[in-house]
Amino acid sequence: MLFSMARFVRAAMLASAAAAAPVLAQGDLLVAPTRVVLDGERGTEVILNNIGNETAVYRVSLEVRRMTADGKLDEIAEAEASEAEKAALAMISYAPRRVELAPNQPQAIRIGVRAPEGLPDGEYRVHMLFRAIPDAKAPSAGDAPATGVSIALTPIYGVTIPVIVRQGSLRATASIAGAQLVDTPEGRGFSLDLTREGMRSTYGEIRVLKPGEAKPALQARGIAVYPEVARRNLTLPIPEEVAAKLAGPATVQYLEDGEEGGRVIAEAKVVLR
Amino acid sequence: MINRFSKAVLVLGTLALGAGAANAASTTATAKAKILQQVTVTNTSDLDFGTIVTGAAASTVAVSSTGTRTCGAGLTCSGTTTAANFNVTGTIGQTVTISTTNASLTSGANSMSSTLAPSSGTLLLDGSDSFTVGGTLNVAANQADGNYAGQFTVTVNYQ
Repeated sequence: MLFSMARFVRAAMLASAAAAAPVLAQGDLLVAPTRVVLDGERGTEVILNNIGNETAVYRVSLEVRRMTADGKLDEIAEAEASEAEKAALAMISYAPRRVELAPNQPQAIRIGVRAPEGLPDGEYRVHMLFRAIPDAKAPSAGDAPATGVSIALTPIYGVTIPVIVRQGSLRATASIAGAQLVDTPEGRGFSLDLTREGMRSTYGEIRVLKPGEAKPALQARGIAVYPEVARRNLTLPIPEEVAAKLAGPATVQYLEDGEEGGRVIAEAKVVLR
Repeated sequence: MINRFSKAVLVLGTLALGAGAANAASTTATAKAKILQQVTVTNTSDLDFGTIVTGAAASTVAVSSTGTRTCGAGLTCSGTTTAANFNVTGTIGQTVTISTTNASLTSGANSMSSTLAPSSGTLLLDGSDSFTVGGTLNVAANQADGNYAGQFTVTVNYQ
């Protein structure tokens, strides 16, 4: 029963693939979960799946990234890593680091933590990068013009997720400032500053509530303020109609992730313009 | 003493039976599943600068994030151009950032540089999201003809 069901689903998927003809490239990937927090646990697993239509080789690696004041995660060369970042790299083990996957073949990547004796309390973090190693696109000689330049650019694309190890009992608080509607090069945006204090990062969801409406007018999950920044800006691209809806009095909330209790970390009553 | 003890057990037994009877229709086995938040990234079109006939002076060819070409002075551009397109699916409402690196292109001993940028640095996922990568190719004066190849990286970052 289960088997035939699976076959049916697969057949249906194939049929829909043929009908809609989505372009699938070598190296397309799925990663789950998208955040790992180890607070006392010794390890976990992350699933990597090849969702492309060709067999591909994927590489898993750890890298140091630091949050900037505008919320970007900049890659830091290992030589320039701080003591805490080096300690994080040293205590996190993972395997396998290179996998060849057939289409729709998932692979669990095991992550283990061994905190060294006498590790100071704090939050230790690395970012795990998953990406395919593509076959280089060869500029085909047949298409080459007699004169001129032709270009073949191969994208190497992937996903990074944070792997966070917490040592000791850590606290942090945050507050919201400067919530406003802004114009960005890509259109309208909602901007605010998050200020953080304490030994660890804050993570959660930003909600903008309009008076008298139960459903948030804007909701953005997965917003972190990491310990390396005391204050970060968050600018979210929003459609014009959302911007129009947000304008006026509103309540902006920063809530903890549901899995961590859903507590309100910070709240501000604002007039958006 | 013994009597009281057995009575307690009896009461417990009845309770357990009652609970069992109430649940009998619906519970027969334990099922376990862990739901994880996932992300998928798929590449649906390449970054294509088309064909360029070089000139005597250094110039640039730009492909915007919508795929529109701007051919610099002194160059002749032909062929169709496209920006690289990537689709991202994830939990609705999730915020991700996009980062790209520049590409260096080589053809034998000759090289060219390019600066690339994503169409948006931050995505607020709504179920069907995509972003594009366009850029500017720096063509040197009397750039040697040839087929140039290079790589660039694109990452979708979770916080």
